[in-house]
Amino acid sequence: MEKAIKKYFPVFMIPTMVAFAIGFLVPFLYGLFLSFCKFTTVVDFKWIGLENYKKILFVNGKYDPSFIHSLWYTVAFTIVTMLIINVVAFAIAFALTKGIRGTNLFRTAFFLPNLIGGIVLSYIWLMIFNSVLQRYSKTIVSTAGSAFWGLVIVVCWQQIGYMMIIYIAGLQNIPTDVIEAAKIDGCSGWQMLKSIILPMMMPTITVCTFLTLTNGFKLFDQNLALTGGKPGGNSELLALNIYNTFYGKTGWEGVGQAKAVIFFIIVAVISVLQNKLTTRKEVQQ
Amino acid sequence: MKKQLISGILLTAMAVTTFAGCGSSKGTTTSSKKGSGSVYLLNFKPENDSEWQKVAKQYTKEKGVEVKVLTAASGKYDSTLKSEMAKKNAPTIFNIGNATAAKTWDKYTLDLSTIDAYKHLTDQSLAIKYNDKVAAIPNTFETFGLIYNKTILTAYTKLPNAVVSSVDDIKDQATLIKVADDIQKRIDELKKQKGCENLTEAFASAGLDDGSSWRFSGHLVNLPLYYEFKDDGLTDITAGQAEVTGKYLDNYKTIWDAYVRDSAADSKTLDSGSLNAESEFGTGQAVFYQNGSWEFDPLITKADENGYTLKESDVSMMPIYFGVDDANQGLCSGTENCWAVNSQASKADQKASIDFINWLIKDDEGKKDMNTLGLAAPYDTMTGDYESSNPFLKAANKYISDGKTNIQWAFNATPNVDDWRKGFVSALTAYTNGSGTWDAVKDAFVNGWSEQWKLAHAE
Repeated sequence: MEKAIKKYFPVFMIPTMVAFAIGFLVPFLYGLFLSFCKFTTVVDFKWIGLENYKKILFVNGKYDPSFIHSLWYTVAFTIVTMLIINVVAFAIAFALTKGIRGTNLFRTAFFLPNLIGGIVLSYIWLMIFNSVLQRYSKTIVSTAGSAFWGLVIVVCWQQIGYMMIIYIAGLQNIPTDVIEAAKIDGCSGWQMLKSIILPMMMPTITVCTFLTLTNGFKLFDQNLALTGGKPGGNSELLALNIYNTFYGKTGWEGVGQAKAVIFFIIVAVISVLQNKLTTRKEVQQ
Repeated sequence: MKKQLISGILLTAMAVTTFAGCGSSKGTTTSSKKGSGSVYLLNFKPENDSEWQKVAKQYTKEKGVEVKVLTAASGKYDSTLKSEMAKKNAPTIFNIGNATAAKTWDKYTLDLSTIDAYKHLTDQSLAIKYNDKVAAIPNTFETFGLIYNKTILTAYTKLPNAVVSSVDDIKDQATLIKVADDIQKRIDELKKQKGCENLTEAFASAGLDDGSSWRFSGHLVNLPLYYEFKDDGLTDITAGQAEVTGKYLDNYKTIWDAYVRDSAADSKTLDSGSLNAESEFGTGQAVFYQNGSWEFDPLITKADENGYTLKESDVSMMPIYFGVDDANQGLCSGTENCWAVNSQASKADQKASIDFINWLIKDDEGKKDMNTLGLAAPYDTMTGDYESSNPFLKAANKYISDGKTNIQWAFNATPNVDDWRKGFVSALTAYTNGSGTWDAVKDAFVNGWSEQWKLAHAE
């Protein structure tokens, strides 16, 4: 059997490898190369070295805080949404595995927002927010703070249902004999959660934190449609900042590309760290 | 042996499906006769797509030359152009709007100074010139100003103690604003007049969301830019200059304050995106609406569809009197839709593209198509039946024949348009909702300009 796998692995691997190369490796390496070039279209480039990377921070010879601002704004946004989404999704999943009436209805309802596209969803929320805020003579983009919380609400609303489904699957996977044994030993509800359920759920938590973390960093649609970076670029998350650099400024395609490379490195490093951290807490059943 | 055969077949099958997607892009554009060349036009206006496809088919049928028209999705023209230009079969005709775009695409624009269509331009200064060549020629001509509701404004002039006794008496900024202020004060009185029942405001809301803010960061800004460039003696006003002083920004402030003051919209939430100035004007709630000739279609031609109550006789356009040279101020006419021909395309394709443009401008069938497309092309061939019937454009011409000056589109020179406007709108929003100062608006206008100019024109 093993021999057969060795013999035939190219049959199964090559198509996937080719697709991976065409769809991921080549564009990635090409993009990396372009970040050192000045270009208008991707086939018409001129090597300029680190110039693009310099322009991320220095515009017209002056320090330009916009990228760093976007970076911190994104970090804050990611931490807040990651915490809220995971805690709430876990709580709902916990409640919906207790066998209360209408469980399926609730699960469906909580999951539904996830089926609507980010742009449409954000336009709908924009209307809701602004008609409420109209009473106070404010809009969602009146301040960078309100834009931030607006984004947090929309993203939480959208993603909690999805994470809930994953948590429910995780909860249902905990062996009942462990739970029963704990009950017989006189385990209280809180102890059960802390010492039995949470450790058993660590693999699921790893997955969910990973997903919310990367989603938070990569958020684009909702940012574009809900705030568009207003007021004055103060609510620009990294992805939108890169997009605006690439398409908004004449001759700045390379700088956008350089920002995208930095962005990739940040997301990759953080995801690896997070994965290491939560995987370490996982227990063997 | 049998197993190996099966795996061999499977491998081939998978490889074929993987590559199938890559191979099929050929064929479609090269099907025309060899050597005759083909046309690939990248269209800028999504609303015209179906008409363009018909024109393409018609031209192919008549001349046997393949014409492909691709339309970029709304707001996605720049990104579509960038990706299409990188392809082997790149667009042969594409749209550029201003000198900055001409710089970006300098390598790709063919000098059009020798083609027939250019010679037929009514005003050759409308073409975009860059790097000693005619980089692009206009395919339409537009005008903007203050659209007003004739019925309501006339009713106002009949009121006792009205500021003016005839619409024609509004000839300068001070009078315009006095009239607007007075209308706003006397809404209840005016509402009792025939045709004014829906009135709520003098100026339609000045929305500062992305769907409307360009009216003020683009069009209204044109006036301070134009007068400043003119004072500085610029020969090509639409090409602009590296520094601006904002010397006429106070005039901008005067008219902007009136837009905000004499409107029913809450000045603190102008950026909410829930305002619809067009429908306010279309349903007779507002007397004035700053916009352009393209609004004739939604306001009048499609009034029923949109639920508007206006008729052609209800509307007209006057200059946005700016208080600089009101006696000579006409409407603001110009264009930001110009065709460029791709210099990187094959010689045959370039020729086919130029022939196609000439056909659209000179041939009767082509001219008819331009009319269907709603493009009021500024060429001396477009006379008689082919002249635009747009009353706003007629108004613009009337002002010129009355000896007024056309205000050229100085805002075409705006460097890094999106970025500059974003900064300006952000400051204007803060000023209007009370969280910022007018000095910040000035700063965004003056310093924003020189910063972006340096960036956009750096090598």
